[in-house]
Amino acid sequence: MGVASANTYIHRESVIHDWSPRLKLVSLGLLMFAFATVQQLALVPWMLGLAALLYGLSQLPISFLRQRLSYPGLFILAVVVLLPLTVGDTVVAQWGWLALREEGLRATGLIVGRFLSILTLGFILLGTTPFLTLLGAMRSLGLPTLLADMTLLSYRYLFEIAAMLATMQQAMRLRGFGHSRQRWLRVNRHTMQQLAMLTGNLLIRSYEQSERVYKAMRLRGYGQSRQVAPAPAIASPLSLQNWALTGAVLVAAVGLVLAEMRLA
Amino acid sequence: MHIPDGILPAQVCAAGYAITGVATWYSLRQINRRPDPAAEVPKASLLTAAFFVASSIYIPVPPASVHLILNGLLGVVLGYFAFPAILIGLFFQALVIGHGGLTTLGVNATMMGIPALLAYHIFQSRDVVGKVLPEPTRTGVFAFLGGALGLGIAALIFLALIIFNIPAELNATAEQAAVLTLSVGHIPLALVEGTFTAMLVLFLRRVKPELLEG
Repeated sequence: MGVASANTYIHRESVIHDWSPRLKLVSLGLLMFAFATVQQLALVPWMLGLAALLYGLSQLPISFLRQRLSYPGLFILAVVVLLPLTVGDTVVAQWGWLALREEGLRATGLIVGRFLSILTLGFILLGTTPFLTLLGAMRSLGLPTLLADMTLLSYRYLFEIAAMLATMQQAMRLRGFGHSRQRWLRVNRHTMQQLAMLTGNLLIRSYEQSERVYKAMRLRGYGQSRQVAPAPAIASPLSLQNWALTGAVLVAAVGLVLAEMRLA
Repeated sequence: MHIPDGILPAQVCAAGYAITGVATWYSLRQINRRPDPAAEVPKASLLTAAFFVASSIYIPVPPASVHLILNGLLGVVLGYFAFPAILIGLFFQALVIGHGGLTTLGVNATMMGIPALLAYHIFQSRDVVGKVLPEPTRTGVFAFLGGALGLGIAALIFLALIIFNIPAELNATAEQAAVLTLSVGHIPLALVEGTFTAMLVLFLRRVKPELLEG
């Protein structure tokens, strides 16, 4: 699940790191949506180029992106394998009953191009902004307090609960769980019961911990006033560079959408 | 069963965000009507983290294993907190491991969250609709329905989204065959999810019944 690798911020001295988190969130978010509107294959190189340019400006190491792109999901894999073989009538190459089709290849190019570009922007956002700063920016943009509190608390305890589960699973294995032979394509009722109890115990332990956490929070004044605490100030005054970067990204986003409309 | 970035057109992504916005607003409104909503935030948050972690538990079905979605169970245990919890869980997954996506966050939250709210209402209706059944059968049956329908409806939304957004060149017969195969393929998964939910809820009913108060 990769919980242990959640802290993905990489410190660098770059223009993207210095970009105001609020402007960065809005600009990159809009650019991601502009990428999602692209339906013309001719725009894919532009889209990939823009993502690569921003990644270069962020000075994040290539290994950071490569590591994360190694988990593209089964769905994208299915798209890459199936679409060129099943979609369209124009056969480009044929090996026996297997035929590579032009329409399928074009659709795959479009989907994979959009996927890579949007994902790269997402990782630029995460790699150049600490998670808590990102959450602060979202809160200053109107994220409800309750949602922000829940996100913070979940994030805070995610690793502890993941460690708790790992310990419980190790204890189960030491007591012989998973050593018995199981029949193929059969769900063993006893195994499922044990896993349900494992999950149940994890929920109960988390619930009991939440009661202790709540008492500690109450002692520190949580929930005493209905007044909403001010959102944390976002660091760094907005320099000319900030606005220039925001303007350039927004122009690129609008340009892509207009080009898409013209080419459609 | 997450839809990654790049598959859906921007209009569908925007519609997903709009539905997520309305569902979140509605859930928060219901939560804020409770006597002390602040008291429930730590409980919901830690359980959100626990559900996120628990989704990595696999049920062995040799030679493979089945990964649980747990959205129905989330609805049963968290009630109206289920939708924000799913939104947060998906946000973590998109940011941390690139599973799902940021443009498709709204669509994925709708796909998982609306069935979770439905599962909550199904489970809560057990004392009204399932009066004829004795306890604990009643709790078990309604937990099973919540878990199975939670996954089943999410799978149907997923399939509908994929089918309506795949390239138009794919012929209708192949499309129908794919829908049928994938729909039938999800039935055993829904049964596993429902059974797991029922087992877990019956365990919680014995050990920590206050967790089922929604």
